[in-house]
Amino acid sequence: MKIIIVGAGEVGFNIAQRLSEEGHDVVVIEKDSNKIRHIQNVLDVQAILGSGTNPSTLGEAGIKESDIIVAATDSDEANIVACLYAQYLTDYITKIARVRNPDYMEHKEIFNQDFLNIDLIINPQSEMVASILRLTEVPVASEVIDFVDGRIKLIGITIRDDSPVAGRKLASFPDLEHSVLVGVIVRGEEVIIPKGQDTIQPNDLMYCVTRREEIPHISRLLNLREEGLSRVMIVGGGETGLALATSLDTTAINTKIIEKDGQRCLELAEKLERVVVLHGDGTDRELLMEENVADVDIMVAVTDDEENNVLISLLGKALGAKKTVTRIGKLSYIPLVSAIGIDTVVSPRLSAIRATLQYIRKGKVICVAPLKGEGAEAIEFEALETSDIVNTPLSEVKFPKEAIVGAIVRGEEIIIPRGHNVIKPHDHLIIFALKGAIPKLEKLFTVKLEYF
Amino acid sequence: MRFRQIFRLIGILNFFLGLSMLAPLTISLIYSDGSFYPLLYSLAITSGSGITLFSLIQRADYSSLSQREGMAIVTLGWLSAGFFGSLPFLFSGSIGTITDAYFESISGFTTTGASILGNIESLPKGILFWRSLTQWMGGMGIIVLSIAILPFLGVGGMQLYKAEIPSPVVDKLQPRISETAKALWKVYLLITVVEIGLLFVGGMPLFDSICHAFCTMPTGGFSTQNGSIAQYNSAYFDGIITVFMVLAGVNFSLHFRFLRGNFKVFGRDPECRVFVSMLAILVLLTTYNIYGTAYHSITNAFRHAAFQVTSIITTTGFVTANYETWPALSQIILVLCMFIGAMAGSTGGAIKVMRIILLVKHGYREIFRLVHPRAVRSIRLGGKPVPEEVLNSVWGFFIFYMTLFIVAVVIMSFIGLDVVTSFGSVAATIGNVGPGFGLVGPVGNYLSVTDPGKWTLIFCMVLGRLEIYTVIIMLAPAYWRK
Repeated sequence: MKIIIVGAGEVGFNIAQRLSEEGHDVVVIEKDSNKIRHIQNVLDVQAILGSGTNPSTLGEAGIKESDIIVAATDSDEANIVACLYAQYLTDYITKIARVRNPDYMEHKEIFNQDFLNIDLIINPQSEMVASILRLTEVPVASEVIDFVDGRIKLIGITIRDDSPVAGRKLASFPDLEHSVLVGVIVRGEEVIIPKGQDTIQPNDLMYCVTRREEIPHISRLLNLREEGLSRVMIVGGGETGLALATSLDTTAINTKIIEKDGQRCLELAEKLERVVVLHGDGTDRELLMEENVADVDIMVAVTDDEENNVLISLLGKALGAKKTVTRIGKLSYIPLVSAIGIDTVVSPRLSAIRATLQYIRKGKVICVAPLKGEGAEAIEFEALETSDIVNTPLSEVKFPKEAIVGAIVRGEEIIIPRGHNVIKPHDHLIIFALKGAIPKLEKLFTVKLEYF
Repeated sequence: MRFRQIFRLIGILNFFLGLSMLAPLTISLIYSDGSFYPLLYSLAITSGSGITLFSLIQRADYSSLSQREGMAIVTLGWLSAGFFGSLPFLFSGSIGTITDAYFESISGFTTTGASILGNIESLPKGILFWRSLTQWMGGMGIIVLSIAILPFLGVGGMQLYKAEIPSPVVDKLQPRISETAKALWKVYLLITVVEIGLLFVGGMPLFDSICHAFCTMPTGGFSTQNGSIAQYNSAYFDGIITVFMVLAGVNFSLHFRFLRGNFKVFGRDPECRVFVSMLAILVLLTTYNIYGTAYHSITNAFRHAAFQVTSIITTTGFVTANYETWPALSQIILVLCMFIGAMAGSTGGAIKVMRIILLVKHGYREIFRLVHPRAVRSIRLGGKPVPEEVLNSVWGFFIFYMTLFIVAVVIMSFIGLDVVTSFGSVAATIGNVGPGFGLVGPVGNYLSVTDPGKWTLIFCMVLGRLEIYTVIIMLAPAYWRK
């Protein structure tokens, strides 16, 4: 596929990188000549100096032969205009725009076919808020990704030193069979697709798939303290903080929100009913202790200042918060903050990248979730009648070594598979795969279709 | 610097270089000219050493080649190609000493076309073909060819590409570097085939047509005849080769766009306009100058002026006339041409028209600033502003080019060559032209230059082909510091 990406900020750059690594032909349009030079040095893509809102630049980028345009500049308006021009120049192109301003999101209908006709609007903030809310559903997890409308949950769990499962072989959990499958273990820099004889070690980040209703069961089996979520503290009352607080306002969870700006606090208090609005600085130790941070289940640091968020989370952890969620803007900070002990990081840019990639993936791929370190992915595929993998027991399918089927969804039924299970046509599969196996998988699932 | 990656890749390069000897091997079989075994041994040694180097070193990752590593691979790759390319000359006994064989081989790969051979026609056909093939491969670039063939290079390919085709402005024709390299090679192959056809139709023997086309398109200049193109004494051949030399001197991405259906691309490109009009003016001036002095018919004067000026400005170096007998103005024009060179992104050498344009514009801006001290003015090319760092790098290039030229001239005169030969030999090798002035002029050759002189010129040829920076950077202490 040929894909044009407008804007080479962090979002555009990362999307370009992923897509070109996956074998797509990528053309990047960017105004800043320094960024162009950098891209030419590190990515195998065509980089064009110019503006995406200029039809002749789009023409130069070969918009007529392109399949998809992703407008990911910092300006919502530029993104929308780029998509409009793309529509004007070619009828059948798929248009994806990153739109951040919440005002536009209030009337989403203007983006549909009758008017602006943009195929996908990505609002990084709402994507990010959604991912934070998913975390609140499974507090023990450091990451939660939904598949099949949330009926299947992919959860990432960090194994602590005192965990009863540490040091045990995967095969030694007979109870867990049919209800959970460990798909990927991240151990330091290493990403492993584990087999039965592999052992779980302390500090591993373990990704497993399970049915939604079985999460408490698993938590008990793994002897993770599952107390349910009762207290959340949000630091930062900006748009993200407000959106999050609004969602939690209607639940039974005790929520507190801390905001530095007094005027903003008044606004928050007007909009929120049950949530306790506190006027103060999130880095103020006294305030945090006074508000009993030690008993907080999740502390979410979403101020506009990313360095501050890191400090707030570290402080919160030191004062006893069970879990922290930190908002980071710069993607390059993510490996750094993981190294200093921040457990969960959210980023609007990362959310935008994920949402875009999910949409672009070819064939019958329904959903893609990059796992930590980007070395592995969980992918939801639909098994086609024509594919080699259907109607054969899993143990006999020629599957890439670096991939594993985590779950089979057949209508209402969810199967956590073993070797004897058989995939039927139109089953949805959730597959864990290391990066290298992804092109092979895409082939396995789609190649037959292309011959028709 | 990760030497494993570097040497493994050079191993692969050698392997393919060896395989390319299959072509002259076939020729030697067809003509049974006695060069079969020398070529076979060369093939075995080249590919064998490549395979050995390749298999001795474990798998390596090429997705993240740094700019330095790219430059090292390209420079070392070219030096080693020169060495292995000299084996057929040595084994067949065509050339006696290692220095001479290496000189001929490097002169081939760098598309200089400077020869140490006096009696070319006595060489076996297989060796003659290999000599032409080195030019053809070197023209578009042996590294670029391998980027087109080897899919695993990925992003690393970009570093190699930039090191081998250093143009002031990087022009990527296709989203992927391997596709860009393939596109360039396809255009190159296509134009070469057309030229072979046209020469053959005009009555040139097929073997000669192929060899001459193989040496025109890379702006090389090796001929299979002792008297170069002059030997045929055919206005048709002169005309065809003149046209194809001009084509070879044009940026190949313009050819690519033209073949894609963008027919106005030549007229719109500012560099192309300057190149063509400059060429026209110089040809007319030379015609005017040699008409009545060296030639008595206006058509003959035009024919030789057009051929010779084109041949030198595109740095090809084919010869149809002994320009040293021409009047001074014409000779001065040819010397100028040796420095100007063809367009950036073409197969030609020397400073390149693009850089000349930027230097002139930059110079004019300085004058403009003297008149309007507070003026802010950016330099534009074809309506697009040129980044300051490009200008700086062009200035750096120019200064290095001239400095190295002067140093090499001093060395050559120190060795004992006369003024004209010292000057002419260095200008002709650093610009990848081929024939110079004096002893190494259009009717002479480089055999009489002493060994230290030849090595100096070999260095000049590699410097010129890889456009200074790629080679000279390896001599900088900062390059080796960790």
